Amino acid sequence: MSSRRVCQRCSALPASIQRAPAPLSARIAAKRCFTLSRTKQPSKSPSDNPPLQNKRRLSSLESQGQRASSEYVAPPASQQPTQSPHEDNSRLLLKPDNLFHSFSNSPSPEIRRRAAFMKQNAYCPHPAHAQTRQPIGPHDLEARKTGTHPPAHVRYECPDCGIPVSCSYEHFADDYENHLDICDQLREINEDDHDLRSGRFFPEFEYPGPQLEEAQVNMTNWDTLLYTREFNAIDNERSLRQATRLLTYPITIGSVIHELSPYNIKSGGRLTPEGLKSMTLRYTLHPPRSGAGMTIAGLRPNPPPTRLFILGARAESSLPREVWIQLVHLFPRATFHLIFIGPESMANRDAEFPLPPRTASNPFGAVVEDRISGQMKISTFVEYYHTLHAAGAFAPYDPYFDAFVLFHPGLGHPASSHEWAETIPQLLETKVPVICTGYTEYDMQRDIKWVHDTVGGEVDMLLEPGENRFRSLRWDLNDADPSDVSCGNFGLWAFRGKRYETTRKDVE
Amino acid sequence: MPLGRIPQSSYYDARNRPGAALYRARQPYLVKNAVTGLFIIGFVAGVYSWTIRAIGQDDFSDVPMPDAPIQAGHAPHTTAGSRSAGPA
Repeated sequence: MSSRRVCQRCSALPASIQRAPAPLSARIAAKRCFTLSRTKQPSKSPSDNPPLQNKRRLSSLESQGQRASSEYVAPPASQQPTQSPHEDNSRLLLKPDNLFHSFSNSPSPEIRRRAAFMKQNAYCPHPAHAQTRQPIGPHDLEARKTGTHPPAHVRYECPDCGIPVSCSYEHFADDYENHLDICDQLREINEDDHDLRSGRFFPEFEYPGPQLEEAQVNMTNWDTLLYTREFNAIDNERSLRQATRLLTYPITIGSVIHELSPYNIKSGGRLTPEGLKSMTLRYTLHPPRSGAGMTIAGLRPNPPPTRLFILGARAESSLPREVWIQLVHLFPRATFHLIFIGPESMANRDAEFPLPPRTASNPFGAVVEDRISGQMKISTFVEYYHTLHAAGAFAPYDPYFDAFVLFHPGLGHPASSHEWAETIPQLLETKVPVICTGYTEYDMQRDIKWVHDTVGGEVDMLLEPGENRFRSLRWDLNDADPSDVSCGNFGLWAFRGKRYETTRKDVE
Repeated sequence: MPLGRIPQSSYYDARNRPGAALYRARQPYLVKNAVTGLFIIGFVAGVYSWTIRAIGQDDFSDVPMPDAPIQAGHAPHTTAGSRSAGPA
């Protein structure tokens, strides 16, 4: 057995899992599916990161460790100590030149399961079929369906991208031009999914620690950010896609609230003057030096932590905590309290159930993680936000300390807009900036339109809608509709309740 | 050979050549830096050439020069050709 000392809990895991970070679970992929009914995908492959000191992470690995071992070709234990993960090719399931496989014939059982799911749930998009649901927008292929053929599930896999996209060869050939638009992207998704399950070593999931405050971060694009944040070089584009898919969540927030944000008030900079006024968070996040030190003489009064309320949290609440810590490392002298709120905020965090009991000091049974870092605390509430707002759980709100973040909330999406109807007016009332993202341009515009329709003109745009510089570079597939590809945090915009400096009073 | 490895940035390969990630990180600044570099070098070249020209020989081709004297090398005040009134 390995000569490394392992604690009793870790020794339950095969050494191969401990040694190298396991591939990221596709739970993130599953959660990003944008189905009409917003059904949850069945939870997917084994958990990801190497065991940290954090007990919470160890427990989740342990519970899923047995499933993890079934996915890998685990070598005999005697091989482990002598080989570094870089040369450990015996446990590689898929070599880098062998990443394209048709989903139904994939070497990974989980992808085969997804293919089976697609074949049972996704409908052929050929116009000859009858519609099965209302089209979501003008680009939805459902809108083209005018025929009378009964709707058929997809069965035929495109030979170039390996994903079942049509019910038969005839419909596939007929609709080939439309498919060609996304065939390359689907193939890329296919290879990235296989890459995640290939069992290779993932150096891109090793994140750097805090850095010197004077070494400033450059937020022009992903490459400059990763370079100035002292990440290990990610030369391979596929690795970059895998890494940015997780990092997009903390870095998107960071890119808006940091003082070196790429969004500015010049024309084309997308930040409006109201937006600049609302970035009062920057005073708290970049405090002047106060002479504080580690001794008694260096004690200084500290401001309360910046609260980021992440509403409608689904996959992002289960992101590995070392990914969220990257947000903290962007702001050297600031503290954070991340609050995940939403009915699905405990998705894929089964190891942390049951929730704490509701007591007077914790009236909503929130899961509080305060041992992650000296600068970050994470609380998770499995509640709707309007319940908590009505209860005054977080009042008072202060724009110098608070912000709301909504990751692809689907405000205007027919399946979920009713859930937001009560929350959005309350958010506007707090006059605190609300940062919103969207899966696609259309999704974002629909959300904006819905907000304007719901609350009239009571909204100030802080950040004009547009592509997020720090979007996920990896595209995701919607298992219930293979022609729907989206990427995490594609679009970004921000709003706030309108502040009236003066109002007219009717003169009698 | 020092003990242990010399710390090496992952942005350079084993032969200290920049890697792909470094090229991508530099890419937004390539053109701007090249133009700035050209300006600086051009300025230096301009100062240098102007200075060399400024301290070079003057050009007197536009100044009218008098004719050279007819008896070249004749000394006018020698005592060989004339009696001078010596001290009386």
